Amino acid sequence: MSGNLLEVKAVRMHFPIHGGVLFRRIATVYAVDGVSFNVKPGETVGVVGESGCGKSTLGKTILRLYDPTGGEVLFEGKDLAKMGRRELREVRKDIQIIFQDPYESLNQTHTVGRIIQEPFVIHGVGTKEWRREEAKKLLKRVGLPESAFDRFPHEFSGGQRQRIGIARSIALKPKLVICDEPVSALDVSIQSQVLNLLLDLQREMGMAYIFIAHDLAVVKHVSDRIAVMYLGKIVEFAAAEDLYKAPRHPYTQALISAIPVPDPTRDLSTKQVLEGDVPSPRNPPSGCSFRTRCRFATERCAKEEPTLADAPNASKGHLVACHYADRLDEALKERAKT
Amino acid sequence: MTTLPLDPLTRKKIHRFRSIKRGYYSAIFLAAAILLSFGAELFVNSRALIVRYEGRFHFPTYGSILPGTTFGLDYRYETKYRELKRKFKAEGRGNWVLLPPAPYNAYENDLTEGIYPPTAPDAGSGHWLGTDSTGRDVLARLVYGFRTAIVFSILLLLCNYTIGVTIGCAMGYFGGKFDLFFQRIIEIWANVPFLYIIIIVASIMIPNFFTLMMIMLFFGWIQMTWYMRTATYKQKSREYVLAARAMGASDPYIIFQHIIPNTISIIVTFMPFSISSGVVVLTSLDYLGFGLPAPTPSWGELLRQGTSNLDALWIVSSVVVSMILLLTMVTFVGEAVREAFDPKKHTVYE
Repeated sequence: MSGNLLEVKAVRMHFPIHGGVLFRRIATVYAVDGVSFNVKPGETVGVVGESGCGKSTLGKTILRLYDPTGGEVLFEGKDLAKMGRRELREVRKDIQIIFQDPYESLNQTHTVGRIIQEPFVIHGVGTKEWRREEAKKLLKRVGLPESAFDRFPHEFSGGQRQRIGIARSIALKPKLVICDEPVSALDVSIQSQVLNLLLDLQREMGMAYIFIAHDLAVVKHVSDRIAVMYLGKIVEFAAAEDLYKAPRHPYTQALISAIPVPDPTRDLSTKQVLEGDVPSPRNPPSGCSFRTRCRFATERCAKEEPTLADAPNASKGHLVACHYADRLDEALKERAKT
Repeated sequence: MTTLPLDPLTRKKIHRFRSIKRGYYSAIFLAAAILLSFGAELFVNSRALIVRYEGRFHFPTYGSILPGTTFGLDYRYETKYRELKRKFKAEGRGNWVLLPPAPYNAYENDLTEGIYPPTAPDAGSGHWLGTDSTGRDVLARLVYGFRTAIVFSILLLLCNYTIGVTIGCAMGYFGGKFDLFFQRIIEIWANVPFLYIIIIVASIMIPNFFTLMMIMLFFGWIQMTWYMRTATYKQKSREYVLAARAMGASDPYIIFQHIIPNTISIIVTFMPFSISSGVVVLTSLDYLGFGLPAPTPSWGELLRQGTSNLDALWIVSSVVVSMILLLTMVTFVGEAVREAFDPKKHTVYE
């Protein structure tokens, strides 16, 4: 399939746990376990899921901050996972990341000016004066005063620091920016400002975003398409509208029903509450990984792992990984039998 | 931008260091003492500062020796300026000699017939702290011994830290097999008994300044390695390092631009303590007779003389007092630095 900026194919990221006297591998964390999706130029793909489902790991694996255990990450048709050092360095001009915690992602010993110029310095772009000028322009672009240039990240608020982080990531005019929960650490009042800044920048520069978050409302606001992750796998992938209107996977349904709606007359009986905890990614359940918490789960779910496929009777491109995607009633009946 | 912009954290640390008075003043005093000791030839020396002879000025302190014939004396070896001063005074022809406040060097034996050294302190003869058992000036030996010890400690510290920081950083940064391998090497290394090695080496050859430093360096780099390794591990997993990697930064770039500047506080905190331990080790080796070769002025050697000549109390008391002063002040500095750099004092939880 051409026309994709990024194509992620069956990417797996397993972390070994070593232990014992000889540091042998005693267990494995299946953080990302066979994830496939694609990103078109200029679009925003949201990735949602609860803590520990592997969404941040996915982002870092795409960037090759981790070396994936398996699968392919094709950026403009070239596999990032197999690239050599030099090639990777070039590609990194085009893919950037914005981190969750603006306190951690900026080096406190550097001035803001130095932080923003860093991408230029690393890639040897421009002269000294040009870098300074460009950094000042970037500061202005993300809504910070020029006087911030000689100050330190320490002296700014969370939202301002996140703006510094954003200025740094767009410095080289990347084609893809991975936003790893860019607003989760911020005040609600600041969140929308930063989100709008991100959207404005996208409109201006035509970048694609992979927007990782656990807040469904935020993701809905920014995304064109959304992937729902559970325990290292994508369970549903659809256009934002479709996903919110007609979620097919029981997990997505539960998540969406949990979004608070400011309507006191709402019928609360349709609200689904998920019970139990997420199973450990060290030891995921057999078959469908969601079955331990799914109220529709049947014996088939324990035996067979569902694949991510076109959902029946849904709009095009709506993918879901559930045996009973369109016939959850049947599942209930089957469950009642046993 | 004329001054290097210091980040507010560093400024705060420096400010706090200055507010801890005894550490701050000890640091100033020590720095002054070290600087002055480099010009010790101007204060404690057998050569004169200025000689005026037959209308011409001579400055014998630095440079090659001036033979006695220069000043109309009948010998060709180095001029004895103290005698020259007496002679000029007696002649009264307008020639004069300006001697340093302590007109003795650390090697000469000032012996007078009929008097057996050590001689007690005596302002008249210029022996402010008396002489030792071979008639050498105690003050001169103290001052030059201090210089040797402090230069030794600082050089040793620089070498130790260069090696320790490099290996520790590499262990923390690259981790994995490299780290494991070096950990085991260091564990074995650290178990080699350091004093035995020195004693063995000293019994085969007479160690000089550099061989002694090499031996100490051999074992001294280990400590810093552990601290740096841990600190690097901690910094490496922080997101700003990930951000730099995501931008395509190379490993050396990340280490030198990001990790080292963020671990510098650890290095600085240990420095004063390393200096004082350097002085202590050198002094104790000299005391035991395994240190610097014989005529070199050193505190350890003075201490040994002092303890074996307890009736000449001026020897042992001057060296003990100097030692206590130096170590206390270094400890004050170290304490203040540690206090100022304590992360608990300026971590903001938000």
